[in-house]
Amino acid sequence: MKKRGLSDLFFLFLVLYLLFPILATALYAFATNWNNTILPEGLTFKWLASLFQDTSFIEAFGRSVLLSGGAVILAFIFVVPAIFIIVLYFPKYEKWMQTAVVMVYAFPGVILAVGLIRTYSQLGIPMILAVLGAYVISILPYIYQGTRNSLRNVNAKQLLDVAELLGASKLQAYLKVLLPAVYPGLFAGALLSFSVLFGEFVLINLVVGSRFETVQIYLMKKLSTSGHIASAVVFLYLVLMGILTISISILTKRSRGVAKT
Amino acid sequence: MSYVMIENLHKTYGASTVLSTIDMTIEKGEFVTLLGPSGCGKSTILRIIAGLTDATSGTVNIDGIDMQNVQPKNREIGMVFQSYALFPNMTVKENVAFGLKMKKIDPREIDEKVREMLAIVHLSDKGNAYPNELSGGQQQRVALARALIVRPKVLLLDEPLSALDAQIRKKLQSDLRSIQMELGITMILVTHDQEEAMAVSDKIFVMNKGGIAQRGTPTEIYTKPESEFIANFIGHYNVFTRAELEHMVGMKLPSECAKFAIRPEAIYFEAGAKNFHMSGIAIESVMSGNVIRTVFQSGERTFSVEQLHHRGHFVEIGKAYECYVEPEDVIELT
Ligand SMILES: Nc1ncnc2c1ncn2[C@@H]1O[C@H](COP(=O)(O)OP(=O)(O)OP(=O)(O)O)[C@@H](O)[C@H]1O
Ligand SMILES: [Mg+2]
Repeated sequence: MKKRGLSDLFFLFLVLYLLFPILATALYAFATNWNNTILPEGLTFKWLASLFQDTSFIEAFGRSVLLSGGAVILAFIFVVPAIFIIVLYFPKYEKWMQTAVVMVYAFPGVILAVGLIRTYSQLGIPMILAVLGAYVISILPYIYQGTRNSLRNVNAKQLLDVAELLGASKLQAYLKVLLPAVYPGLFAGALLSFSVLFGEFVLINLVVGSRFETVQIYLMKKLSTSGHIASAVVFLYLVLMGILTISISILTKRSRGVAKT
Repeated sequence: MSYVMIENLHKTYGASTVLSTIDMTIEKGEFVTLLGPSGCGKSTILRIIAGLTDATSGTVNIDGIDMQNVQPKNREIGMVFQSYALFPNMTVKENVAFGLKMKKIDPREIDEKVREMLAIVHLSDKGNAYPNELSGGQQQRVALARALIVRPKVLLLDEPLSALDAQIRKKLQSDLRSIQMELGITMILVTHDQEEAMAVSDKIFVMNKGGIAQRGTPTEIYTKPESEFIANFIGHYNVFTRAELEHMVGMKLPSECAKFAIRPEAIYFEAGAKNFHMSGIAIESVMSGNVIRTVFQSGERTFSVEQLHHRGHFVEIGKAYECYVEPEDVIELT
């Protein structure tokens, strides 16, 4: 009994420890003045509103969406078909996929940044494209896991076989049977990748910096000028991530329901 | 010329031979079973017939057409898998309708045929359900309906009932057989359950290690096993070497065979005119519903006897009994 109470207490502390800064930040984003009091003196929407009136924020947001979304779309055009083919037809090469996935985890952002600058600045390729390329590679783990699990869950090979025996062409089997069946899993992988890239700071800051100002870089700048606005940015970011997380969990649940036998 | 003719089929994966010299003929409207232990190549044969796997050599001929260069989608062969393989994002109706849609049949006609088919598999009330809302048995009925609706020339069933519990399995076995009779479709069932094979088939091919060990009607297979493998696989046969059996019955046997098999239910306790006679001490007795199976020790060997369960246990463990068997029930193995 006593032990239980103690561990509950620890858990409560942990939750508070983790939640407190988030709550405080969110509150700060709506506080009029919060200097000498325990709680803010008043609440206001003006920080949030000013954020939406600031074109450089809107542009930064747009750039972030463009960059992260672009990387995800590129990955879906070039990487996902490759994963399909490997998982379905050449399963013995999956170990190379897994090695590639581990390598992605193994390289810290800083080293990657130095590598990118060294290699590509001399070749005259715009650095933002180099970052985009690195992004496409860096989401490989999420995309690979998501795709492979979906294919395994629905027993993709057999679905394709059945569709063909029922008179579908290979293309019809893919488009009408396999893709709709694995779509929730793929989409969850895409959202996850997007949210990871959206929060990326190290690479973009070191390689491109303020030449391509994303939300993260905008946030960094605002930290030194206005705490309230920076808090408002963080608040918006958290809301966005919350929505993405919920969507991912709904989609994952759906794809599991689909696979239930 | 038979409806399905498989000649000289070989299949190798790298250095390992999976199928060697498979020859099979199947008549139109027949229900045949491929029976064999795990890994003997049953699924591989089905996949080759369906065109999903290429044979290393040999021919598959269906309804007079050599299937060599015919794509799976044009073979008019249906297949049902152990894991159902239903399309998860489609309702039962959409699953069943899929084959007809691929044939671009008029939607109203599809509707009607789907309704008919669902009635045949007793799922009329589940048309709008998704696969994950159905039990295993129901899912397998959908898979069956989906395969049957296009009226395939041959329906291949790869252990379709293995994932189901005993009761539903029995029910689906008899459903499967009656649907097959009703529609007159040629079916090839793969199973490793000899009871299932006996219950539904016109003809059984017993496979072992990539070859066909014996073929025949269920009765032929059961009463005339040709080899020790069949005798062991098909029932609880007692298999004896010549020396063992001669020692047990206490006399020289007229036959020259090296091994013999005796069905456990062919051994009984009342002496007759021409019986062989063997004595044994009861060491174990197991009752499984209507059958009591008793194991007797006789010298070095044991043998088992199965009797219908009339009035409770009739043997006492540890006691010696006299057992009898007719000479014609002693089967010579080659
Ligand atoms: N793609 C493959 N590559 C290599 N070997 C294979 C392949 N497919 C099957 N085999 C081998 O072929 C043999 C026969 O396989 P098959 O699936 O036909 O057996 P089965 O009789 O259906 O067994 P089970 O009752 O377990 O389903 C097995 O030894 C298997 O390892
Ligand atoms: Mg198999």
